[in-house]
Amino acid sequence: MMSNNPYIPMPVTITKIINEVDTNDIKTFRLTFQNKEDEQKFKYLPGQFAELSIFGKGESPIGIASSPTEPGYVEFTVQKAGVIVPGLVTAALHDLEEGAEIGMRGPLGKSWPIEFLEKKNIVVVGGGFAFTTLRSLINYMLHKDNRKRFGEITVVYGARNPGLLLYKNELAAWEKRDDIKTNITVDKGNESWKGREGFVPNVCKEVAPSPKNTVAVICGPPIMIKFTLPVFYDLKFAKENILTSLEMRMKCGIGKCGRCNVGFKYVCSDGPVFSMAELEELPRDF
Amino acid sequence: MAASVLKKVVIEKINEVAAVLMQKGTLIAPVKEEAGANFREIKDPKDIYLDYYNSILSPKMVFFPQMEDFVKYQLAKPKADAKIVEMNLKPAFLFGVRPCDVKSFEILDKHFYASGIIDTYWKARRDNTTIIGYAFDLDKPVDSADFYNTLGIGAADPEGSDIFIVKKDKELLLKGITKKGEALLGELSMLEKADAKDEKYFTDYVKKGKEKKTRFMKVDDKAVAKKYEDIFENNEYWTKMSDACLSCGVCTFVCPTCYCFDICDETIFGKGTRRRIWDACMFTDFTLETSGHNPRTKVSQRLRQKVCHKYSFSVRKYDVISCVGCGRCTRSCPVNIDIYSMVEEATKL
Ligand SMILES: Cc1cc2nc3c(=O)[nH]c(=O)nc-3n(C[C@H](O)[C@H](O)[C@H](O)COP(=O)(O)OP(=O)(O)OC[C@H]3O[C@@H](n4cnc5c(N)ncnc54)[C@H](O)[C@@H]3O)c2cc1C
Ligand code: SF4
Ligand code: SF4
Ligand code: FES
Repeated sequence: MMSNNPYIPMPVTITKIINEVDTNDIKTFRLTFQNKEDEQKFKYLPGQFAELSIFGKGESPIGIASSPTEPGYVEFTVQKAGVIVPGLVTAALHDLEEGAEIGMRGPLGKSWPIEFLEKKNIVVVGGGFAFTTLRSLINYMLHKDNRKRFGEITVVYGARNPGLLLYKNELAAWEKRDDIKTNITVDKGNESWKGREGFVPNVCKEVAPSPKNTVAVICGPPIMIKFTLPVFYDLKFAKENILTSLEMRMKCGIGKCGRCNVGFKYVCSDGPVFSMAELEELPRDF
Repeated sequence: MAASVLKKVVIEKINEVAAVLMQKGTLIAPVKEEAGANFREIKDPKDIYLDYYNSILSPKMVFFPQMEDFVKYQLAKPKADAKIVEMNLKPAFLFGVRPCDVKSFEILDKHFYASGIIDTYWKARRDNTTIIGYAFDLDKPVDSADFYNTLGIGAADPEGSDIFIVKKDKELLLKGITKKGEALLGELSMLEKADAKDEKYFTDYVKKGKEKKTRFMKVDDKAVAKKYEDIFENNEYWTKMSDACLSCGVCTFVCPTCYCFDICDETIFGKGTRRRIWDACMFTDFTLETSGHNPRTKVSQRLRQKVCHKYSFSVRKYDVISCVGCGRCTRSCPVNIDIYSMVEEATKL
């Protein structure tokens, strides 16, 4: 199926599935395009998302976890959602095997503001599985053609325990590089854990990045955000220089269905990326 | 401006006009149903109900049907077999729309058409349709729920229609407003030429329409938008306003400017349809995320979303209040919640 209709998904094939965590409920799906034209049209930047579609189940907005510097495929890291009842689309995705065909609409939403980030120091703060579009951003900045465009890169990434850290191989590779300062932390370690223990906000306090010419990009569970923001305000970061990605229930993903409306913005098309200064202008309704 | 075309026809002959339009494409006009008038596709010209006041459901459903099928699929392994549902539209003629509803199309155009990504379906149906507006009957009283004057709309405003109709005794006067409308008038050979008296009657009618009084208060778009920003956290106001609300969503379904929709898959024995379907911000699970998080669990928060969307967010985003004062929500609400009174009370705070 090919179409200029924004509601029609393009066909993609799952070419690789990576089980990310011990609990088996977070997997990374690598998708490749079935039509060359679709692939050429799918121009994205870190921070954007797509609607993943499974006929008979529906669609789900998922952040793009790969970087545009890796051509030929797009990756998504998906958690099996649902508290009492399993989520339709995410559960169905988890049941699929390599080789299966699904649909995809996108890229959707605004990316991390790359031009604004250029020539600045970047502090990336992530918690839990909300690290996906941050991974995209880090891999984008680390690419050899891009690294010079950005200043110092500092990462603070935490999970509840070592088994819940995503992208373990990449984390290890970043720790070996000298052009990125990687601070990985877990709330509670285990026998084999040799790294840092502690909550993300506390690690941010220790790392204490200077606000000078620096932008903080923060994604994580609400509780982490709540305690991390004051740390950055105390460090004298301006609201314009703290960015985050908002989550709101979505359907169309293109600013038409009204579902993700908050104040005069649609989170899907005006966001999901917002600065704290922009969020301050919105009613507390998300 | 060049004098535009004015034609006339005796009311009985409207059947002939209808017959031609049905031949050219799809004719949609008010018909009488058990609960009141509604816009439906006309199969028999005798069904056209020109004596109606206003329809229960708004005519937005002509461009934005309650259900719009996107894809038909057949589940199979390793992959579903899916086909895009073609629209196969014939030219459409939307006949007998009241001026406030015509205005609602302009407002929805800003959302579906003129900003951001274009909604394929809205655009296709809109481009394909000729709008034949119809002045309210100025000899009849206005419904007490109406307040389109408040939004600057007159009972006989021709703007936004392609052709605009005014009733004169036993005749209808038809004026070409756009090029598309004028061309269509030219093709309707049963119409007679109107004379200078008719011209004057038409012009006077439009003028008199502006004097026909609905409920009225002075609202300044920017001021009311700001007011609602200021009282967004005024729980006392919102709780009082929403006290009786049942979250039934009827107000949004009948509203010409409400556009929220769901996208869902309906599958029966492996065959299914992905479609969009009207939804409402008044429903409890509208913003419920799979994690269980829901920013609008209280009815006061949902009614706040509805009212602020129309009178505040829309002004900031699209530079227009997205309400035309048609009164449908007030007439349809089972517990008499009235948006006009809500705004009136807000402006006093
Ligand atoms: C911009 C954005 C990026 C996201 N990125 C990721 C990601 O990288 N990885 C990941 O695992 N999850 C992500 N999510 C959350 C994910 O969209 C939901 O967990 C998912 O939609 C649940 O769908 P379901 O069909 O399994 O659940 P069901 O409860 O069966 O589905 C209900 C439907 O409601 C909508 N919906 C429900 N919850 C949410 C939600 N939290 N956000 C948006 N729409 C929702 C979807 O349309 C979904 O199909 C993201 C959400 C947003 C808004
Ligand atoms: S809010 Fe009520 S009065 Fe305003 S356009 Fe909608 S139905 Fe009509
Ligand atoms: S029609 Fe009345 S009761 Fe129903 S949701 Fe609207 S305001 Fe509430
Ligand atoms: S998801 Fe439809 S408007 Fe944002």
